[in-house]
Amino acid sequence: MRHRLLRLAVAGTALLLAAASPADSPVNVPEPDGIWTGPQRGYTPATLAGANVIDIDALDALIARDRPVLLDVSLADRRPAGFPDDRPWLPAHRSVPGAVWMANAGAAPLDPAREALFLKRVAELTGSDKGRAVVAFCHPECWGSWNAAKRLVLQGYTRVHWFPEGIEGWQERHPTTVIPEDAAWSAGTGVGAQR
Amino acid sequence: MRPARPVLVRSVLAALTLALPLASAGTALRPSAVHAAGASDDEAERLARWKEIQKSIFGDRRIAPTDSLVKVDAPVRAMDAALVPITLTMPEKDRIAAVHLVIDDNPSPYAAHITFGPGADAGEIKLRVRVNNYTNIHAVVETKDGQLFETTKFVKASGGCSAPMGMSDEEAMKGMGDMKLRFAEAQPGRPVEATLMIRHPNFSGMQMNQITRDYTPARYINKVAITRGDQAVLTLDGDISIASNPVINFGLQPAGQGPIRVVATDNQNGRWEHSFTAPSATN
Repeated sequence: MRHRLLRLAVAGTALLLAAASPADSPVNVPEPDGIWTGPQRGYTPATLAGANVIDIDALDALIARDRPVLLDVSLADRRPAGFPDDRPWLPAHRSVPGAVWMANAGAAPLDPAREALFLKRVAELTGSDKGRAVVAFCHPECWGSWNAAKRLVLQGYTRVHWFPEGIEGWQERHPTTVIPEDAAWSAGTGVGAQR
Repeated sequence: MRPARPVLVRSVLAALTLALPLASAGTALRPSAVHAAGASDDEAERLARWKEIQKSIFGDRRIAPTDSLVKVDAPVRAMDAALVPITLTMPEKDRIAAVHLVIDDNPSPYAAHITFGPGADAGEIKLRVRVNNYTNIHAVVETKDGQLFETTKFVKASGGCSAPMGMSDEEAMKGMGDMKLRFAEAQPGRPVEATLMIRHPNFSGMQMNQITRDYTPARYINKVAITRGDQAVLTLDGDISIASNPVINFGLQPAGQGPIRVVATDNQNGRWEHSFTAPSATN
């Protein structure tokens, strides 16, 4: 029974689950070479070469010590096509207070102009200091933040942190706050805000 | 500790949910260990959001707080954010005309509006919803004399609106519109508890196919009308916040007569109608 259900579950998400072993120990997801271009939702590696993988304790310590640049790359809630006009549609993005939200900046492939804008914004936010602490996050099992961190590693940033627990890990311990999408990121292209 | 469920578990749950929705409704999910502390989110911000939602749904109508007219029960920490069981209890049921369910932090917060007819026992409603983020859930009751009263409950769950179902869309749509209606054992003079189960993926429009990266178009039950004989029982106006394969528990007046007719429609002009025979109490 369980096996049949498993197969049923796997059918729709075969790629996503290809590297996964039993449910409670999603281990051995290898790091891809460079940016991950597969499904953006799924088990992620435990490591990121060139970056520090941090938990909430380490994030708390880092924030207290180094005032890192906090980069949230979560997707924006997408308004369903044809959603009735007479019902309230009020997406609110809750995140780590002080974070800069560039929605879906961890996508791959990413339009080169968007990638350039992402890097430009990070350069601005770090004061062009590639040694400044930076933390990328989105949600658990979200490759976007892994990719965003990887992009910065590939650009020579030396203190990149990846916080895989993401917003959920943060809100286990701390309040979240509603943040708007980074204005420059939203303005960068007409398709930026809604995917 | 990781708050989110591993994808595989979610997929299996989703598969289980589709495979056995009718057998396991209401018993499959139990709150996991509850942590009372940690709800330290910005109260003022949450209140401001509720005021905004309140205005968009109820305009300037006054809503008084209540401890007695309606109560929301939900797991403080939901096992599966795409399938969060909610119980609305309305002890002074004869005063209640309707109840509104609002999930504040869902992008589409207005989850359901249930209007009771003379065939209903309005004491309790149960349904299963998607929760996008740690959120207040508000229940607003409307009394027969037109007053509004609200209560709220904070629920910890995350990602429910966009969680993929873990199967192909075709698979998820199999048997769409099939229904079952189950009754608890009838007792003379007591309201009859009924459980309506509708097979329908209730696609939120926020679920991305992980392979193609397309969003599955929203397809959700937007209205369920239940009548018994010539009496209205209840009408539910629903939304993408209702979980896939909707399950609704409600009460029937014991004196009701005639077959129970359920008409469900979705936002893509789907329409399904089924008739059921209610049990009669025997001494």
